[in-house]
Amino acid sequence: MSTIKEYLTADHARCDDLFASMEDSASRSIKDAKASYDIFASSSERHFQMEEKVMFLEFEAKTGMTQGPTAMMRQEHTQMRSLVSQMGEAIADENKDRFFGLSETLMILMQQHNMKEEQMLYTMAQQHLNADSDRVVEMMESMIVE
Amino acid sequence: MELNGLSIDQAPPISAPVRFYLTAPLFAILAGFFMFFSDASTLSSRYSLDTIVITHTLTIGFLSFIMLGSLTQMLPVLAGVVIPKVDKVSKIAHILLVAGLISMIYGLHSQNTDANTLAMLLLGVGFSMIISVIVMAVIRVKNFNATVKAMSVSLFFAIFTILMGIFLLYTYIDDDIAQYRYIISNIHSVWGIFGFAGILIIGVTFQVLPMFYVAPKFKQFCKKKVVWLISFGLFLWLFTTIFYEPLSIVAKGWVSLFFWAFATTVWIKLTRRKRPISDVTVWYWRSASVLLTIGSFVWIFDEYFSHEYVVMVSVMFGGFILSIMTGMLYKIVPFLVWFHLNAMGYMTIPTMNEMIDKRLSKIQFFLFMISLVGFVLAFYIPISLQVASLSFIISMMILQYNVIAPMLIYIKIKKTKPDFDMSAFATT
Repeated sequence: MSTIKEYLTADHARCDDLFASMEDSASRSIKDAKASYDIFASSSERHFQMEEKVMFLEFEAKTGMTQGPTAMMRQEHTQMRSLVSQMGEAIADENKDRFFGLSETLMILMQQHNMKEEQMLYTMAQQHLNADSDRVVEMMESMIVE
Repeated sequence: MELNGLSIDQAPPISAPVRFYLTAPLFAILAGFFMFFSDASTLSSRYSLDTIVITHTLTIGFLSFIMLGSLTQMLPVLAGVVIPKVDKVSKIAHILLVAGLISMIYGLHSQNTDANTLAMLLLGVGFSMIISVIVMAVIRVKNFNATVKAMSVSLFFAIFTILMGIFLLYTYIDDDIAQYRYIISNIHSVWGIFGFAGILIIGVTFQVLPMFYVAPKFKQFCKKKVVWLISFGLFLWLFTTIFYEPLSIVAKGWVSLFFWAFATTVWIKLTRRKRPISDVTVWYWRSASVLLTIGSFVWIFDEYFSHEYVVMVSVMFGGFILSIMTGMLYKIVPFLVWFHLNAMGYMTIPTMNEMIDKRLSKIQFFLFMISLVGFVLAFYIPISLQVASLSFIISMMILQYNVIAPMLIYIKIKKTKPDFDMSAFATT
């Protein structure tokens, strides 16, 4: 089974691919981008929740750090959720320029965020939760998105 | 493990990188005017004072300013380290570097010893200050990735490039040591272009290309070995140049080979990228790749023509580095404006694409490309230097405007403090 770091890093890559295919379909027709947008939006939401409801909680319980890096990552999730929902509105309004303006912003924000997680937080989480790694990954995999 | 980099509060203030970004195009415009008022035959010698002034207005004023500004912004994100007192240091270093560069331009132009001495002092202190705090941050990095490693190696070459630069400036003050000028300036330029700028660009590309364009990742061989192989080549070149000049062509070939391979890899990865968008930043990556390829070959070719084509080599490598830097400005400035405003709680912020006029940035790109072609043509048709310079000046003026525009949005939003967006709480 993959480690926490490997599992979540692979999920970032999966979300990046879905992001790219959403932009691809939006560049062809903004009207038809709804389906690929929905897949990207639900996948990224699932990723956020896997962290917020499973990994961050385990990490905080183990390290006692509740106001540290996980708080910052939650804050950035909020910023990204806001952009994702605005992109949904832009598709509904069939406003292509606005959609790509938002997607460009989200892309850079998302990549900065992923980089911090992959370089630092996941490495740290893997160190602290090494013994429980399989259990944490299983919990993330079987989690039901709310 | 250092986690301060994960904090928005401890991300460098927007002023740290942006002060460098805002003055960079100004120096490029100035360099454009110097070229306009110079002539092709003077500029075809790399040792003429005009050439030295123009080169340094661009390399210090434009290239190193953007590289230093970007290092202050990227290190905390990439490596999770905080640069100590980054706001204060970048502010003072920036003032010293601007004053030092102006003093150097004046000193070299008018052969004024006092101005050159002052320039040496200001540039020396300015560069030392900012590079020291960056090095202090790098030392604390625990989790080195390929990009941070490349940044460290690039800083090593930067330090030597600057030390040699200060020495070279001193040769214009004390004539007794002018005999060393040729060899030191040769090392200074090659280490500056390939060691400082080249390696930094390669390191940042490892991250940026797969991330921002969803391009395939670089292979482990590239990430782990290429920077060391290039560094080895640069040392080999140094030793052969000093001790056995005829062999230096081998080292040149070695360094060129890896840069050419890098340029080709960039082109292939861009072609295979999953993100379909093709904006001006993609064009700049493409042009950088082409210019670096041509530059690498002409650099070798030049060896067989007693360095007749050295100006063409400089135009190609200069065009390569300027392309990367300009493309990066188009991404980073609007993002920083958005990011800092958003972190302050403002929700009604223009998107990145609304901050910079796309049409203008495309015009800027074409004018820049026309200027490069003109600079090469000036080799055969002298008058085209003036046409190329004009095109370059206008292109850099547009770039200046494109950097200022997002900053004006930032200032306006902070000043007018629009109400926080409450639409998320609306009932309908």
